[in-house]
Amino acid sequence: MSTLTLPPLPGLVPCARQLVVPIVEQTRLARDTYRLRLASPELANAVVPGQFFMVRPPGQTDPLLGRPFALYDVWLDASGEPGGIDLVYLVVGKMTGVMRTWQAGESVEIWGPLGNGFPLLTCDKLLIVAGGIGNTPFPAVLREALGLHRYGTEAGLDHGPRHVARPLAPADITLCYGVRSAEFLAGVDHFESLGIDLKLATDDGSRGHKGFVTQPAEEWLKTHTATPAAGRTGPKLAVYCCGPEPMMHAVARLAAKYQAPCWLSLESPMACGFGACFSCVTKVKQPDGDWDYRRTCVEGPIFPAEVLDL
Amino acid sequence: MPNLAVELNRLHLANPILVASGTFGYAREMAAFVPFSKLGGIVPKTITAEPRRGNPPPRTVETASGLLNSIGLDNDGLETFLAKHLEYLVGLGTKVIANIAGHDREEFLQMSGRLGGIEGLSGIELNISCPNVSGGVDFGVDPARTEAIVRGVREVCGLPIVAKLTPNVTDIVAIAQAAQSGGADAVTLTNTFQGMAIDWKHRKPILGNVIGGLSGPAIKPIVLRMVYQVARRVPGLPIIAVGGIGSLNDVMEFLVAGASAVQIGTANFYNPTLAGKLVDELDAALASEGLASVREIVGTLKTP
Repeated sequence: MSTLTLPPLPGLVPCARQLVVPIVEQTRLARDTYRLRLASPELANAVVPGQFFMVRPPGQTDPLLGRPFALYDVWLDASGEPGGIDLVYLVVGKMTGVMRTWQAGESVEIWGPLGNGFPLLTCDKLLIVAGGIGNTPFPAVLREALGLHRYGTEAGLDHGPRHVARPLAPADITLCYGVRSAEFLAGVDHFESLGIDLKLATDDGSRGHKGFVTQPAEEWLKTHTATPAAGRTGPKLAVYCCGPEPMMHAVARLAAKYQAPCWLSLESPMACGFGACFSCVTKVKQPDGDWDYRRTCVEGPIFPAEVLDL
Repeated sequence: MPNLAVELNRLHLANPILVASGTFGYAREMAAFVPFSKLGGIVPKTITAEPRRGNPPPRTVETASGLLNSIGLDNDGLETFLAKHLEYLVGLGTKVIANIAGHDREEFLQMSGRLGGIEGLSGIELNISCPNVSGGVDFGVDPARTEAIVRGVREVCGLPIVAKLTPNVTDIVAIAQAAQSGGADAVTLTNTFQGMAIDWKHRKPILGNVIGGLSGPAIKPIVLRMVYQVARRVPGLPIIAVGGIGSLNDVMEFLVAGASAVQIGTANFYNPTLAGKLVDELDAALASEGLASVREIVGTLKTP
């Protein structure tokens, strides 16, 4: 009956599921920053980098709603098989305050994976810009980009197992990671162990560049978009960004200035995470030049910067 | 096995578990979580005559055991609904009750007239109670206007009619009586309670629209009271209860208070598989009570 094609909802995930899963451990990574390790091979096999999960304490009404957390990474059990997922959170409010008290052996309610995830990598040089707790999607992104793990291997997934045809060398990846102060830096040892080009920035200069993370990001863009020598083409670039909104807007403007493709991972307040509530809207440009509110959860949370009306 | 079927005048449902408008998207969003054909019915997100962008974010904020929302009827309009969502919805093996909101009586009548001719729909729910749209809440706070809209819709549309009422009134019974006089097959009790949340340090409201509607477990006792009052004082008007239902016990309480059916609302957001499980749980609960049908428990509250 309908000849009208549906607008794509790339973040609507047919394999999403709601589960109660056990906590394996909680680990402090930095000031007010904790890694929650959950046991669930099925979620670990279904998720891809950039997707997120909604988490809440089971059977309670205060706090009530789930909260969205990006996949930090999949963890492997003793036999090398995916054993579950890691989520990393910053203690900021009621729910994360409750999460901080969770102990190994307790269970949490979780639904996901949700959202579209980052696009499959096809670039030669990758710039990642992370601000504060916005670093959480990137351990999985890095692991996939370096060819160290295959995500989304669960049988029957619509997208099939993700396969990066040409993994990048560590030297082809730059991570610009900025926080308020050095004590908030999380996972730096891990990033360093990968051998990638890591550029840290702190607002107070307690570690790395003093100032905004956008400054090292712009230097990278300037260098990599310099006019290539005669007879040579420049590298194919990609910029991935997650962090506070003003920072993402600044990175999007820089990427546009240097004509580098850029993807932003948005975090809008969400009630459900799967498109039912219409809370998490963001302004998306329309073909007619106007804008419309679109749901971050099912049309994102990863958006090409150029479609956003920032 | 207990008989779960319920008849709300002309609206006949296989079981009394429905999902509430605005909490279930257009069903597509819930496909990973809910076996749709188990449900008594689906009420998709409110449709308006023309597309609406909705309110500026933040559109929701959590409060103690509750959710404040000011979505603002974000939707693509009636014709896009029919073109994009109807075919999917009516193929899900359950009843679909379209929820509509008009700016004025004329628009309610135009929309219900159009929907009355659509094959596959099982009813119309009139949103005369949305607190987030200027004008929308006005119909449902006035008995005369409530009756006039329901009566008008009844004249132009052959589908069963459910009036979704606002709790933001002095006397919910008077509004329910007006809906009955206008010819409503049932009333849905209730829409959200007007409320707000404040960030005092910045001296700012948290919602983009300043004021929103409160839902979730926090409102359940108040809705339960309204269901009880309407059930006692408006005989012959079936009630679909909605307000903070998060478990089978909540469902049973509303049935005992006098509701013939229930809608699962905010719980779809924090427990997306709940609605699909409740039908089996209801079946088991009735069986363990030794009841032959769900109708035997409706309105069985013993009061002193």
